[in-house]
Amino acid sequence: MRAEELKGHLDAVLLAALEDGPRHGYAVMEALRQSTGGRLDLPTGTIYPALRRLEQAGLITGSWSVVGGRRRREYRLTAAGRRALSGRRADWREFAATVSAALEGRGCPNPA
Amino acid sequence: MSEPRVIGAYLAVLAAELPASIVEELAGGLAETYQSYLRQGVAPGPAAQSAVAEFGDPHVIAAEFARVNPARRGARRLLLTGPVAGACWAAVLITSRAWAWPVPLLARIGFGLVLLTVIGLLAAAALGTRYRVAARAGIAGCLGIAAIDAIAITGAMLASPSVTPVMISAMTASTVRIALSVQALRPILTR
Repeated sequence: MRAEELKGHLDAVLLAALEDGPRHGYAVMEALRQSTGGRLDLPTGTIYPALRRLEQAGLITGSWSVVGGRRRREYRLTAAGRRALSGRRADWREFAATVSAALEGRGCPNPA
Repeated sequence: MSEPRVIGAYLAVLAAELPASIVEELAGGLAETYQSYLRQGVAPGPAAQSAVAEFGDPHVIAAEFARVNPARRGARRLLLTGPVAGACWAAVLITSRAWAWPVPLLARIGFGLVLLTVIGLLAAAALGTRYRVAARAGIAGCLGIAAIDAIAITGAMLASPSVTPVMISAMTASTVRIALSVQALRPILTR
């Protein structure tokens, strides 16, 4: 999946990558690769500004730490970030179920 | 182990556009990407090329950072609240017959020019597509707005014989804008 196809969902995907604990930018990318089986074809550099945007929105917080003599910035979910992730997950499940039902010609499993 | 020249050149492009703390974060990620290729047995030269390619176009990354530049948000907030403060001060000038104040013409023209310059700086910060340029314009614009509002408050108190409700509303608007300027400056200066 390419970056442009992920547009609109990148924030949720990044929040999900931080759900298990704090990570720095490269580790976030590695976590996404693992969770998607390497199907996410995203330029690594573009996730850093996205992380800053989420930080400005108060959904994650960033802090510097020193590992192996090199400073790196780790990000962790805030309470607002967890709520946002939960909301985005629910929205995605509903969206995916609706579109799947429409594309496959089946009835919606959980009509609203 | 020193990193190949291609990585240094890549970081130099980013350093020309972005603050040192952001470049440091990106450099760390790029170094880890490079090391991961080395661990897979790739030779240093191709590993560096692959790491840089995986990271993406540095100009695109710089442009993405410019979009999330805190200077943009701070400058937009000040520009949006500007008309409110301007209207409050216009009401003060009209109700207190400011044209009769003992302020020299040159000082009035100078104040107007400074105000226009500061608005221009804030517009450059709000619309800037280059991080460093927008950040510098934002810093100058925020300091300028804070100074103008402080001068307006002080000038009105000195020049006007009495404090009217209209003047209190204008002073309140200016005080809020000084606070907004300080709030906007903090994230720009800590990057």
